[in-house]
Amino acid sequence: MTPGSSAAACPQPLDHKEIVAAPRTLVLVGNPNVGKSVLFGALTGKYVTVSNYPGTTVEVTRGTAEIGGSRWHVLDTPGTNNLLPMSEDEQVTRDILLREPEYVCVQVCDAKNLRRGLLLGCQLAEAGVPFALALNLADEAAARGIRIDVDRLAAALGIDVIPTVAVQRTGLPHLLGRIPEARVSKFRPRYDEAIEEALAELDLLLPEGRLSRRSLGLMLLAGDESLQPWLAARVSEDVRERMERIRRGLASRYPESLRYVVSRQRLAIADRLHDQVVTKGKASAGSALARRIGAWSTDPVKGIPILLLVLAVAYLFVGVFGAKTAVDFLENTVFYDHVVPWTEALLRWIVPAGSIQEFLVGPPGLPFRETNGFIIGKYGLVSMGLAYGMAIVLPIVATFFLAFSVLEDSGYLPRLAVMVNRVFKWMGLNGKAVLPMVLGLGCDTMATMTARIMETRKERVIVTLLLALGVPCSAQIAVIFAMLQGLSFAASIWFTVVILLVLFLVGWLAARVIPGRGSDFVLELPPLRVPQLGNVLVKTLARMEWYLREALPLFVLGTLLLWGLDRAHLLQLVERAAAPVVVGILQLPEQSASAFILGFLRRDYAAAGLFQIYQPYMTTGTMTRVMEIQVTVALVTVTLFIPCIANFLMILKERGWKTGLGIAAFVLPFAVGVGGGLNLLMRRFF
Amino acid sequence: MPALVSRQEKCPLCGNAFDAEGQGCRPSCPLATGCKVVCCPSCGYSFPQETGWAGRLKGWLDRRKEDGR
Repeated sequence: MTPGSSAAACPQPLDHKEIVAAPRTLVLVGNPNVGKSVLFGALTGKYVTVSNYPGTTVEVTRGTAEIGGSRWHVLDTPGTNNLLPMSEDEQVTRDILLREPEYVCVQVCDAKNLRRGLLLGCQLAEAGVPFALALNLADEAAARGIRIDVDRLAAALGIDVIPTVAVQRTGLPHLLGRIPEARVSKFRPRYDEAIEEALAELDLLLPEGRLSRRSLGLMLLAGDESLQPWLAARVSEDVRERMERIRRGLASRYPESLRYVVSRQRLAIADRLHDQVVTKGKASAGSALARRIGAWSTDPVKGIPILLLVLAVAYLFVGVFGAKTAVDFLENTVFYDHVVPWTEALLRWIVPAGSIQEFLVGPPGLPFRETNGFIIGKYGLVSMGLAYGMAIVLPIVATFFLAFSVLEDSGYLPRLAVMVNRVFKWMGLNGKAVLPMVLGLGCDTMATMTARIMETRKERVIVTLLLALGVPCSAQIAVIFAMLQGLSFAASIWFTVVILLVLFLVGWLAARVIPGRGSDFVLELPPLRVPQLGNVLVKTLARMEWYLREALPLFVLGTLLLWGLDRAHLLQLVERAAAPVVVGILQLPEQSASAFILGFLRRDYAAAGLFQIYQPYMTTGTMTRVMEIQVTVALVTVTLFIPCIANFLMILKERGWKTGLGIAAFVLPFAVGVGGGLNLLMRRFF
Repeated sequence: MPALVSRQEKCPLCGNAFDAEGQGCRPSCPLATGCKVVCCPSCGYSFPQETGWAGRLKGWLDRRKEDGR
């Protein structure tokens, strides 16, 4: 979500008279999901009004409360991590603080995650807003052995700090008693000399407002565009230009963005304060070992053997057990020995012999791969659609999801992101980009959506391009593993090296061709722990359900498309039309054109189609050198295709038609070009 | 619109606890209808909500854990 300008442009504060005439206003602020709304409910009771903040779709809840013997108007703001807005929700919260005429704040903070709360608290202190700090979920923090020196924190901030458990109303009477006395914090985070000098210059130019000039200056330096409408209404264009010159002058002194520099320095200040007031209970031997392994796993040297071990175990489980043993059993024993013949027999028994029976299962006596039956046939819904989805892709997807869930539940996944961060930086991406790239190994469509976490348009476009180009999703990895099992080690190396080289080179080139700049990567690391079997099973089942809902309908659709083309005798026409590319450039068998058609629906479906063509030779160990080259070329070409139709639509939605079509226009010929080039190279050197 | 159940979720990536309501697939997603994928408001990580069969398994495991205490 991107911050809209409408909230900042909103000229009027919220209308209190709709609720009740109340002399004073209390604004609740806090990070998302810290119990703010529970506290709001406890203060105001059930008579509240929920309405959109003017000019936005963000809901703001308002009510009234009896505090200290008088009526207060109470505003519950959207959860925010920052007064430098990154989303419309955060902008609304900042605008309420900026525009409301007179108010005091209660910052609700999760005592289990004081660091994040202090980051926001520092900004409220900078803003000169009178506030009190509610350390909510204090019971859960205590249960985890987190001890907060409340008196020391209150003394450091110069405000009231009250531990609360909002759901049990613990601490609320004390908090209510302190709200009328809320005061401006004396805590003043200090930045480096250059920033302080710029702030001093801006202080002379900025207008008076509800938030301090220092706070407004920091927003301005960080490049907060959403502040401009507010400023435009208060200072002349000339003054704004002078302020922009100060900002540019300061920005030129840092290699990173000013937003990042300010946030990093503020985080360091919040960290120091956090370490002064928080102590944790004595760690058990197990957690000490987990912390040590956790530290090794992000170490540039010690982390590599851990990473290799994790990858090797994952490969043995997914690539060998899932892609070979499980696929062989499900495809041959379950599907082709039982499900397909049983379904055929059942349909022949139910439907009387004749044209309808022939339409469904083909003429009797012929092997199903030689008929064009609708249910059982070469392109039958059961014999092809279900067999691809359930017998070839599902077992590998299931083992992949199981391995992925183990990594996720153990807390290793974010550490993996930190480890590969260095590598991905060479590809023109900052560390944060690793997150959608790693997610892309699960699902490229989800990962394309997640590319929103990148701060700049340039980064979002590069991530989207690389996801579309060379990051295979779990279902495709599944079939790739199955195919690589039937190839020689050398052919597998060719495939891996080509895909990695393409990713590196395209990323490197895109970083230099696409205009704009990058940003830096901050990711909170949860503790490393032994994965819980129950959690892993539930996570795996949830992902498999999601896969079945999303992928299987497309498999059925793809099968219907092929069946329709075959019935209308168009498939041979398509194969002939694709022959110059498939046969001429890639030097693949003509029938593999149908697999490439499926590639427009899903890449894994296309790979499964190729798997079907070569599987008999792989099983019997009769793959020739030319076949190995063909499989490698086909796999590389299919992998470099747009992952699936859903991903393509998502690219259009997220990046816009122009960029989306541009990516597709690059990816499709590029995939064929790389495939063709690889074919020439392998025929010479393989 | 996303078919998410409003309840507390914990992000498997960054550990952030949040209410799933309003944190589903964006309406711009072509597969948003009936989608159960939750997006963490803190780090942007996406994961499917454990409802349906997974939810039933989770409920059964939770009940077993309760009985064992």
